[in-house]
Amino acid sequence: MFGIVEEKIDVGAMIGAASRPDCGAVCTFVGTTRVDESGGNSVEYLEYEAYRPMADRKLEEIGAEIRSRWDVGHVSIVHRVGRVDPAEASVAIVVASPRRGPAFEASRYAIERIKEIVPIWKREVWSDGYVWVGSQVGTRQA
Amino acid sequence: MIEVLLFGAAADRAGTRKVRLEVEEDSTLAEIWPLLTDRYPGLCPMRDTLAFAVNGEYARMDGRVGPGDEVAVLPPVSGG
Repeated sequence: MFGIVEEKIDVGAMIGAASRPDCGAVCTFVGTTRVDESGGNSVEYLEYEAYRPMADRKLEEIGAEIRSRWDVGHVSIVHRVGRVDPAEASVAIVVASPRRGPAFEASRYAIERIKEIVPIWKREVWSDGYVWVGSQVGTRQA
Repeated sequence: MIEVLLFGAAADRAGTRKVRLEVEEDSTLAEIWPLLTDRYPGLCPMRDTLAFAVNGEYARMDGRVGPGDEVAVLPPVSGG
């Protein structure tokens, strides 16, 4: 499964769907909201938006790239949009492969590619304003 | 007419997420950019950081655009 979702990501269900008799390794990467602090202020939550359906298609493309590079039995990548509170998952990647090497490598590859090609943007909402990550545009005084 | 969608910091700078522009057949993204910045000068400082898509796929500035197309203005992506 590949795609953008608006609801909480069910990582357990994703891992369950990846488990297969021909694979001896299931590797999961989960990206979560971290509370950064600076100058007495802190991140309250992250807010994501995506350009759909291009973003869904780019996630599928990453899956196809992984299948062409590694021997994997299962790949799924889900990214959440909207408000994501501290410690909640914004992205989950699950790769199953016959042996552990490809599962580790492919899951790392997937998160790096997401950060390169998938049209998704996040805004850090701080106690004193917000900032678009990567553009440094927002209401927060630097 | 084309529909231009703006995202993230670009939508912030422009103060809008969607705009319709009158363009001629066989225009390029390079020709459309000044039409956008005339209307939304706040976008100008972002120029070097932006990518563009036409009909849902990344496109270069010499990429062709014509009536009916959807153009997206994409700030540096920051998923994950």
